[in-house]
Amino acid sequence: MENPEEQYKEVLVQVLSDVLERLAFMFAEQCSVDEFPASESGYMKTAMTFSGPFDGCLSLAVSSDMCVELAANILGAEPLDENVMDKAQDALKEFLNIACGQILTSLAGEEPVFDLSVPEAHKIEESEWKAMGEDPNAVGLLADDFPVLAALKTVNT
Amino acid sequence: MALNILVVDDSETVRAIIAKTLRLAQVPINELFTAANGKEALEILSDNWVDLVFSDINMPIMGGVEMIEKMFADDVMKTIPVVVVSTEGSKTRMEELKTKGVKAYIRKPFTPELVRSVVEDITGGFTDGES
Repeated sequence: MENPEEQYKEVLVQVLSDVLERLAFMFAEQCSVDEFPASESGYMKTAMTFSGPFDGCLSLAVSSDMCVELAANILGAEPLDENVMDKAQDALKEFLNIACGQILTSLAGEEPVFDLSVPEAHKIEESEWKAMGEDPNAVGLLADDFPVLAALKTVNT
Repeated sequence: MALNILVVDDSETVRAIIAKTLRLAQVPINELFTAANGKEALEILSDNWVDLVFSDINMPIMGGVEMIEKMFADDVMKTIPVVVVSTEGSKTRMEELKTKGVKAYIRKPFTPELVRSVVEDITGGFTDGES
């Protein structure tokens, strides 16, 4: 595979945009991390691993208000609904889970079998958000004006 | 005929999405059961009549494949159609699941039209708005 990092970034942008649109009716486009709007709501990160023809980790970080908006759109509810606030982290994990399946199919085709871990999520400090933005494997997107960071790392490719 | 449906997924969000999608697809539902893993699902199946199961594969405690194997080892449960709803897109995995008796495979994200079509294929169809 020639220059896999660039291919990964291209697939990340394409798949994340597609899944955001189909799952949550949110529209995303690639954006430089330097152009991200500041977030005062804090940040959430979710990650999962996979193993198969190649192994790796997919991670995703978003602002906390994006997380709530994502849950509201997926569930068809208002962002301020208490039920939505409770499910925001779970919705983010499910978004990652769906995106991971689609990314692996885009990269490896429809024949190989991958075993996927259960996604885990937690709040992160702004310093971790900034560090992820500086990661050469990371790509930035703006989804309905909310900042999104994603990174795909693999071994034995 | 309104259906008793069991939705098995460790994500509360996905359980809510499937419930919403079934409503949007106008699938006639008598009772909707939910379980967070295969173990909980088997307990519900042993205590209740269920017409159709929608299940994820990757779940903690007991995953979908183990649950399906246990269902097919039971004389009553093996007659209940199972639809796997998963993020995985491997045709090899889909074929493996079909050999275990899975009736259909729906990949996330999915549409109400797809869900309705799968339920109609399995149940032989139903009348619009029946509930």
